[in-house]
Amino acid sequence: MENHVEKIAKAISGLELEDISQLVSKALDAGVDPHEILSAMSSGMTKVGELFEKGEYFLADLVLAGEVMKEGLKVLEPYLKPESIGAKGTVVICTVKGDIHDIGKNLVGTMLSSAGFKVVDLGVNVHEDRIVEAVRQHGAKGVGLSVLLTSMVESIGDVVKALERANLRDRVKIAIGGACTTEELVNRMGVDALGRDAVEAVKIFEGFMS
Amino acid sequence: MKVIACATVAEELLYMGFPEKNMKVLDFALHAEPSKLRERLQAEIDGVEGDCDILLGYGKCSNALEGIKSGNHRLVIPRVEDCIAIFLGSDDEYLRVQREEPGTYYLTKGWVIAQKNALEEYKKLVEKYGEYRAKRVVSAMFANYKRIVLINTGNYELDDFRRFASDMARFLGLTLEEKAGSRRLLEKMIKGQWDREFVVVEKNSSVSFN
Repeated sequence: MENHVEKIAKAISGLELEDISQLVSKALDAGVDPHEILSAMSSGMTKVGELFEKGEYFLADLVLAGEVMKEGLKVLEPYLKPESIGAKGTVVICTVKGDIHDIGKNLVGTMLSSAGFKVVDLGVNVHEDRIVEAVRQHGAKGVGLSVLLTSMVESIGDVVKALERANLRDRVKIAIGGACTTEELVNRMGVDALGRDAVEAVKIFEGFMS
Repeated sequence: MKVIACATVAEELLYMGFPEKNMKVLDFALHAEPSKLRERLQAEIDGVEGDCDILLGYGKCSNALEGIKSGNHRLVIPRVEDCIAIFLGSDDEYLRVQREEPGTYYLTKGWVIAQKNALEEYKKLVEKYGEYRAKRVVSAMFANYKRIVLINTGNYELDDFRRFASDMARFLGLTLEEKAGSRRLLEKMIKGQWDREFVVVEKNSSVSFN
């Protein structure tokens, strides 16, 4: 059983796009607990993050790892118990208005899903009104905003204000991330946290939910 | 007076007659990793002998320039978000074009050369991972782009770059537009007209865009 799980974690960290679906199917056929498979995939992604930090993996490798995760999750998701999906709470994520960079945002989404959050991914260039609507509709307790362009950081403030106007600001915590984000921005925009990578994002949202 | 510039900006400065011997050109790819760009710029500035004025051919560039120390030199930087604002002549024009279509990929001569490098990178990716994975990576990276804008800065004939831009647009399934750029910011910079459109950092101080 360990063999299956190990192979899956290795396939993720080794970026084996063509093999992952079959490995997940085989593990499921062999009776491996789907949640064990999920955590193996997640640990594979953590390894990918470490290799990126070390400079052994590049941006293209990160993107490929995200694609491998996606393929694996496609097979796995129907087998996860519905009550366990989102057991940790609901998080709304997106790339802010005016920006379309989403490599980091997608990795955060994948890592949050595999860590047990229900993730509502609104995509890119998202107007603040859609975020308010999604928070309300899904009862989200966390919001994750991604921004890469320094020219679009003001969009973060627009989200904060829109949540305040809708009387929802007290009910959600907001984390930001992306190349141009800083602690100074966290204070200036009135958000709650800054995440440097997808692994840190999981820790931040776990903290938000407790 | 010396210039340290990103390859994309240096390309324009050369056409404007700034002497190559006084210019240090840095790899455009550094923009994707702001902390590396900051380290590299700091090292280049520290390596300039004496106490001259150093013009930096950059903008905020994901806050990479924030906090850079001037040491014995005076630093001058266009007060803009990034090089696209430099090519279009102002942040206002950049914001206008970006808001018109957030999924815009900008090209100038320097960026075409950069893309040709990217094409080489792509070939390396194919060698490393095979065509299927390489294509998945590129599709994921360009998923949200809708159009290419070729900026005509007026510094050179665009014909060769038009062809590349239209090939790139066809390959990625994007529309292609041409927009008039401007030389005014770079002209002001090399002529020493450092008004409020520039961040001027005195000796023994550090860069702050605020």
